[in-house]
Amino acid sequence: MSAILHILKTQGGDIVHAIGQHIGLSLISLLIAAVIAIPLAILLMNHKRAAGVMLQITSILQTIPSLALLGILIPIVGIGTVPSVIALVIYAVMPIFQNTYSGLTTIDPNYEEAATAFGLSRRMKLFRIELPLAMPMIISGIRIATVLIIGTATLAALIGAGGLGTYILLGIETNNNPLLIIGAVLSAILALVFGAAIDWLGRLSFKKAGIVLATVVVLIGGFAGYRKIANPETGITIAGKMGSEPEILINMYKDLIEHDHPRMKVTTKANFGGTSFLFKALKSGSIDIYPEFTGTVLESLVKGEKSASHDPARTYQVAQKALKSQYRMAYLKPMKYQNGYDLAVTKQFAKANNLKTISDLIAVEGKIHAGFDPDFYQLKDGYPGLSKTYGLKFASAKTMEPSIRYKAIANGKVNLVDGYTTDPEIQEYHLVVLKDDRNFFPPYQGAPLMTEKLITEHPELKTTLNKLAGKVTTTDMQKMNYLVTVKHEKAATVARQYLKSHGYLN
Amino acid sequence: MIEFRNVTKQYAHNQALDRLNLTIPSRDFFVLVGPSGSGKTTTLKMLNRLIEPTDGDIYFDDRRLIDYDLKQLRRQMGYVLQNIALFPNLNIQDNIAIQAESLGWPRKRRIERARELLAQVDLDPDQYATRMPSELSGGEQQRVGIIRALAIKPKVVLMDEPFSALDPISRKQLQDLVLRLHQELKMTFVFVTHDMHEALRLGQHIAVMRLGHIQQVGTGEDIIRHPANDFVRGFFQVETAARPDAVSDVVLAGYGTATSDTPTLDATATVNELAADLRQGPVVVATPDGNRQLQTTDLLDFLATKEAD
Repeated sequence: MSAILHILKTQGGDIVHAIGQHIGLSLISLLIAAVIAIPLAILLMNHKRAAGVMLQITSILQTIPSLALLGILIPIVGIGTVPSVIALVIYAVMPIFQNTYSGLTTIDPNYEEAATAFGLSRRMKLFRIELPLAMPMIISGIRIATVLIIGTATLAALIGAGGLGTYILLGIETNNNPLLIIGAVLSAILALVFGAAIDWLGRLSFKKAGIVLATVVVLIGGFAGYRKIANPETGITIAGKMGSEPEILINMYKDLIEHDHPRMKVTTKANFGGTSFLFKALKSGSIDIYPEFTGTVLESLVKGEKSASHDPARTYQVAQKALKSQYRMAYLKPMKYQNGYDLAVTKQFAKANNLKTISDLIAVEGKIHAGFDPDFYQLKDGYPGLSKTYGLKFASAKTMEPSIRYKAIANGKVNLVDGYTTDPEIQEYHLVVLKDDRNFFPPYQGAPLMTEKLITEHPELKTTLNKLAGKVTTTDMQKMNYLVTVKHEKAATVARQYLKSHGYLN
Repeated sequence: MIEFRNVTKQYAHNQALDRLNLTIPSRDFFVLVGPSGSGKTTTLKMLNRLIEPTDGDIYFDDRRLIDYDLKQLRRQMGYVLQNIALFPNLNIQDNIAIQAESLGWPRKRRIERARELLAQVDLDPDQYATRMPSELSGGEQQRVGIIRALAIKPKVVLMDEPFSALDPISRKQLQDLVLRLHQELKMTFVFVTHDMHEALRLGQHIAVMRLGHIQQVGTGEDIIRHPANDFVRGFFQVETAARPDAVSDVVLAGYGTATSDTPTLDATATVNELAADLRQGPVVVATPDGNRQLQTTDLLDFLATKEAD
C-alpha cells in the first residue's frame, strides 16, 4: 500500500497523463463506433436479412482475440494510436449496432401504426418517435461498448498508444505489483465513472443528450488538434521496451544526439511495448531507433541463428550480420553491461565462503539452498545446463516467483538465487553476482538498433551513439535501475546525471 | 362521402373482405359492428390505407384513394387506436399536436390548439398539457387519444374500438363525449365496435358485418325492428341477454315499499349498481307510481325468482 502511495506521489503527473491518453483513446473510439453503428442500424432497421448478415459480421469480429487483431493491424496501419482506435472501434460496433437495431425493431407496433396513420414523414417518425423510444436500448449498448473499450484499451500500451495499460504491462514485465494494481484499479474506476456518466446522459432528453455529445466531440477534437499542432512529430523517434532500463537508455541516446546535433529533435517513447511490437514498429518506420539485446536478436528476431555462441563479441557479430542481411537494419556496437541470467548470493555469504565465481560454488555445493525462477529451473540455458557445465549439485533448489525469490534470500530462506545481472534488487538487498567464469550464460548486451536507411541519411548518428559502445558497466546499470525502480527517480534525470558525471555532455 | 365498390381483401389463408359495397355519407356518425373476424377493422384501416385492398376501389369525395398522395390523404384523417397508443416519450400537448407538427404548424399555434382541445374535453390545460401519458388514467388517456385525432380538424375521424378496454363508467362518459364532439365538429366519424349497445348508442348509421360480408346497413331502429336475417337478430339478442336487469325491472316485478324519501338511485341503473348501493343501506328509487324503497332482501328475492323462471 505504501508502495502504491509512493508511486502515486512521485509519478502522479505521468499517471494523470496516462489517464488522459486512456480517456482520449476510449472516447474517440466510442464516438467513431457510435457514428458507424447507429446510422447503420437505422439504415438496416427495415431490412431484416441484411441486418442479420451485419449482426453475424460484427459478432465474428468480436470473437477475434484483441492481441491477434492488433497483430493483424500493425503491418497495415503501423503502430500507435491509429491501430488501437481501429481495434477498439471494431469491438465497440457490435454492442451498439445490436442494441440500436433491436431497440428500433422492438418498438410496440401500435406506436408505429399511429405514426404511420398520422402521415408523419419518415424523418419525423425516426427522430420524434422511433429513436427516442429506442434510446434506453441504444444507451445501454453504448454503456456495454464503453466498459468493453476501457478494458480493452489497456492493450493499446502494447503497441505504443499509451494509456493505463502501460502501468499494467510494466507491472507484469517488471514484477511490480503496485504498478499493476494502479493500472488495473484506475481503469476499473474509469469504466465505472463512464458507465455512470452514460446513464446520466440517458436520462436527459433527446435534445440535451445531443448537445452534451456534440460538446464532447468538439472538446476532444479540439484537444487532439491542439496536441497535433503543439507536438509536431518530426525528427527522430526513439522507443524503448517496458521497464526502467530501456527508458534510461533511450534518454541517454536522446541527450547524446541533441548534445551533438542541436538541430535534431528527438522524441522518446518509453514503455512502448514488447519486443515484437517494437521490432515491427521499427520495420514499418513508426519509430527510428530502439535499444535491443544481442541475445534477444538471435533468440527471437532473426532466422536460423538459434545456437547462440556464449562469447559476447561473437554473438554481437552474428546478430549484426543477420539483421543487416535479413532486415537491412543497422545494429551499432553494444555497451559494456550484460543483462543476462546470473547467480547471486548475499555479501556476507560470499565473504564467509570466499565466493567470487560460479566455480567457487563447487566447494560449498552441499550448503547451497537455491531459489529459482520456474523458467530458469527448466530452461536448457538455465539450471540444468548450468549444473552440467560446472558439475554443480546443490543441496536443494526450489522454484518461486521472481519477486518472492529476492525476498526469500533477503530473509535467509534460501542462500542463492538466479536473476538478471542488472536487476535493481541486487543493490537493494546487498547481493553479489558471481562471475560466470566458464561463459555459460548466453550474452545479452544492449545496443541501438535502427534501419540502414536512417544511418545513410544521418551518418553522424553512428559516431554519436557509438560513444557509448563498450561503456556503461553492469554495476552502473544496476545502480541506475535501482534509482529509478526503487527510489522512483525520473529515468531522464538519472540518464542525464550519468552522462554528465562521465563527461559525455561537455 | 366515402364509397367502397366491390372491395375484396384476400390474405394467404382467408378472405377478410368479400366484394364489399358500402357508402358512408359525409358528416355521418357511421358505426361498423360485428364479432371478431367480421372484417370491420380491415374495412376501417383501408380508409387511411394502412391496409390496401386486393381488388376493388374506395372513393373519397369522388376520387379514388390510391390517387391521393398517401401523406396528404392521411393528414385529412384522424385516427384513434384501440389501445390509445399515446407516444410515451412525448408529453400530452406534443402528442395532441403531432399531426399538426407534421403539417408544419408553428409551435405557438400547436400549443394553443392542444390546450383548446384539452379544455373542450374537460381536462384542465394548465394541469394536463405538459404531463406525460403514463401519468394519466386510462379514461383520461383515451380522451387525449380522441382529441389527438381532431387536432388538425380532419374531414374524417377513424376510431378502432377505442373504448373496449375501459370500465363501463368511463366508457359511457366517452361515448357521450364523442357524440357531443360529432355534433359540434361536423366531421365524418367512422367507428368500429363489437358491442351492439355501443353501436346503437352512437351510430346514425350502422353496418352489421360478419365474415367479410355486410349483413345489414341502416339506422339503429331499422336494424332492431327489421333485422335482415337470423344473424343480425341473434347478434342483437345475445347482446341484450347479456345485459344485467335494470332497477326498474325490480320495481316492475312488485318489489319494494312506497316511501316519500327522495330518490337515491336512478331507475335505469343496473341491478349490479343497486347491489353496490344496498351495501350502504336501503335505496330509494323514483317510479312513475311514486318513490319506492328497496332492501337487500328485495334484490335477493328478485334474483332468486328470476333464476326459478
